[in-house]
Amino acid sequence: MSKGGRHTYAAISVLAAGALVLTGCSEGGSKGGGDDKKQQENAERQQSAIKFGDAAASKGPAAEVPGAKSGGTISVLARDSYAHLDPAQIYVQDEMSVSQLLHRGLTGYKATSNDGSKHEVVGDLATDSGTTTDGGKTWKFTLKDGIKFQDGSAITSADVRHTFERQFAAFINQGPPYIQQWLADTPGTDYRKLLPDGPFKGKHLPDSTLETPDEKTVLFKFKNPHPDLPYALAMTGYAVVSQKGDTKEKYDKAPVVTGPYKIQEFKSGKSMVLVKNENWDPATDPLRHQYVDRFNITFNQQYEDSTKALLADSGTDRTGVSFSNQVDAGNLSKVLNDPKMKSRTVSGFQPYVGQVNINMSHAEMKDLKVRQAIAYALPVTPFVRAYGGTDAMEVAGGIISPTVSGYDPSFDPYGKKKKPAGDPAKAKKLLEEAGKTGLKLTFGYINTPEGQQYSTAMAAGLEKAGFDVQRQEIPAETFYDQVSKLDNNYDIFHTAWGADWPSASTVIPPLYDGRVIAEGAQNYSQVNDPKVNSEIDRINKITDPVKAAAEWETLDKYLLTKVVNVVPTAYYKQVQIAGSKIGGLVYDDIIAGVDARRLFVK
Amino acid sequence: MKAEEEQLVGRSPGQLMWIRFKRDRTGVISASVVIFFFLIGLLAPVVSWLYGKNPYTVYADERPELFDSAGVPVQPNGGISGEFWFGLEPGNGYDVFTKLLYGIRTSLGIAVAVTLATVLTGIILGVTAGYLGGKADYWISRVIDFLLAFPAQLFFIASMPVVVSLFVSPRDETPVYVRVVALILVMWFLGWMSLGRILRGTTLALREREFIEAAKVSGAPPGRIIRKEILPNVVTPILVQSTYMLPNFVTAEAGLSFLGVGIVEPTPDWGQMFSKASTELVMQNDITYMFFPGISMIIFVVAFNLLGDSVRDAFDPKTAR
Repeated sequence: MSKGGRHTYAAISVLAAGALVLTGCSEGGSKGGGDDKKQQENAERQQSAIKFGDAAASKGPAAEVPGAKSGGTISVLARDSYAHLDPAQIYVQDEMSVSQLLHRGLTGYKATSNDGSKHEVVGDLATDSGTTTDGGKTWKFTLKDGIKFQDGSAITSADVRHTFERQFAAFINQGPPYIQQWLADTPGTDYRKLLPDGPFKGKHLPDSTLETPDEKTVLFKFKNPHPDLPYALAMTGYAVVSQKGDTKEKYDKAPVVTGPYKIQEFKSGKSMVLVKNENWDPATDPLRHQYVDRFNITFNQQYEDSTKALLADSGTDRTGVSFSNQVDAGNLSKVLNDPKMKSRTVSGFQPYVGQVNINMSHAEMKDLKVRQAIAYALPVTPFVRAYGGTDAMEVAGGIISPTVSGYDPSFDPYGKKKKPAGDPAKAKKLLEEAGKTGLKLTFGYINTPEGQQYSTAMAAGLEKAGFDVQRQEIPAETFYDQVSKLDNNYDIFHTAWGADWPSASTVIPPLYDGRVIAEGAQNYSQVNDPKVNSEIDRINKITDPVKAAAEWETLDKYLLTKVVNVVPTAYYKQVQIAGSKIGGLVYDDIIAGVDARRLFVK
Repeated sequence: MKAEEEQLVGRSPGQLMWIRFKRDRTGVISASVVIFFFLIGLLAPVVSWLYGKNPYTVYADERPELFDSAGVPVQPNGGISGEFWFGLEPGNGYDVFTKLLYGIRTSLGIAVAVTLATVLTGIILGVTAGYLGGKADYWISRVIDFLLAFPAQLFFIASMPVVVSLFVSPRDETPVYVRVVALILVMWFLGWMSLGRILRGTTLALREREFIEAAKVSGAPPGRIIRKEILPNVVTPILVQSTYMLPNFVTAEAGLSFLGVGIVEPTPDWGQMFSKASTELVMQNDITYMFFPGISMIIFVVAFNLLGDSVRDAFDPKTAR
């Protein structure tokens, strides 16, 4: 998923100069960063690769949260109203986050530690995380006994078949495309030709693609091996949809849910109430709990609003939490420096990796020495600063983030971790060797307050190495459209990308495969390296996720040391807070936010 | 006993005005404040050369030990110290002292240029309309009415990016002078009408006076009448008006930069310092920063407005306030 650049901020009218000075002296900044131990912990918690769990691990109920109590109501502050509730239409983080309470799929991520750091993929509706005997071409899933929709009807293989067939219908256009593409064996949006109207006009996928021999068994049959299927199935986009209760477009407002909570009331743009789903059986579910009686969700709470409300900790905000809102950059150091807030604060990584793309289609950028000079000269501190410091951003080494298996914390090809402000001396030498001192570098930056701030300081750093940086503003609304044009004017520009599941197969192929260069595609740097292309094909066929992860990391190293088409800047992090009466508060690395399933009222 | 030797001295209106002005203590003080601001604006490069810093150095990268990772100065009060007199700007860590000096320079420079341009336009069009009358008066007055009906602030915000994009090649950064010229053009375009109207009215009244009639009868050409007879008589409204207009332009320019359509980082600018001061980062962590642009602008605007009042009083002591 790409990181949206959309920031809506109202133009504030000119404040009278008088209002600005009627304020007291400030106490000075927060304490300086560099918490070595914490850094190491963060790195360590990401080391372990995510394994596929067996049948024993997939058995419910989920392990009790220490100290958990039943009952009570939690009020949830959310920024955006949920545009989609139909699981097949869900592809954004906040909707995925609330879906953990509502929807269940064939597989899911089970937290194997109480801090939300270790996970394995287990069967959710299925008895295990899937079995394959031919290296990932054919996958077999068996449904558990006693699984039901909220209306009490049993979940059968027919529902699973329906779930995947309706993905081909035209009205399903927001969710992830992976499994449809794999079933149809085509990239892009051509997969819809396989079943143009979905299952709604009586046609079905042939048994050679998707087979449901009996009520409990589902078989996926791909032409090429897809060892990542258990990860993909864990996405909310592939959660099960009731065949009987499918109302097509209307399902988006009132889905038939399978999780521990059901929707009692949903006022789009205003509020939502979730209550217990009596037809959910904890014995079938290894992932979820049902401690709280109700969740009252209110929308339109901006980051500043939710932060201030939860900091104040009064009334219903004492049992308040936000699944997806983070602490805004301005309040960040205040929250982190308050010892009373420590037990109410969680933090962790988001899946996004920031990177400065070097436009390989421009003649001057074809010189490797020039690209290396950019990589050495570029200061990443401005980027970290603009978003609130090391609590919001961690200086990146490679393009594989800590949330993805295979991450190597020691990989740091341009010394950014030691010298985050860049190495202008080394860059200057490289640029002189290339004979390109004074090279004009057009830097397209996103026109947000953050973009303006980091781009000016980055330009200052690049200029120290001898580049002639020309900054160009790009409106935030159209930023990604502009930089993904094949014929754009920008030599360098910053983008961010997040993995869809913890495998680099959702990072490296879409971003760096030279064969997917197209107008509007995500190969922003327009890199087309034959070795990278062939390696992508080779690694995509490796069935062992741990081995594949190691190979992706090797390719990451090749890209950054030999190709140098991007310079990683930072791994996105966030800090979230909750009211004082909230128990079981954990930051889940996979959800990239507060884990709603574990919450209880103290 | 000696006879009083007091003589009657003939004085020009200018001299009279000067004498009256010197007696007005408020006027003199505010005039010196205003002159001080113009001086530090003019001498900003000299001052910062002596001080040894410039407003473009990213101290957050040059001296990382002075900042936390979010770019907030570690020392209290925004890092004020013997080395950085006014502290450091949260974010990229620019030096606030030189930034303020250069910001004053940019803002005052633009305001003075706009004032000169609008005064010139106001004189030309206002006096022409008033002196010629008839069709010329009708059309110029309609243009003034039309432009006065424009919502100025909205027009600035909407037209600044358009004007800027007219000048710049798509591969280059927008040069600072383009933004400056665009700001001057945009503010000039909607800034001259009030002065133009006042001058039209004054000229209209003067045109019917006897000394103009006399000049006309004696065969003086219109150019000479305007230069020698009319202009000297409208100096008062011009001076008074421009002393009111200049601080208005300073705040208008600051307003545009505050809204992000005027001068942008890293070019120092008064208004842009306000917009920086209003960010959540500065509000929560370094409120001291606001004092420097805030207080300096209050002092400047108040002093200039008081100066305008004093100038008016000195020219026209009879009018009661």
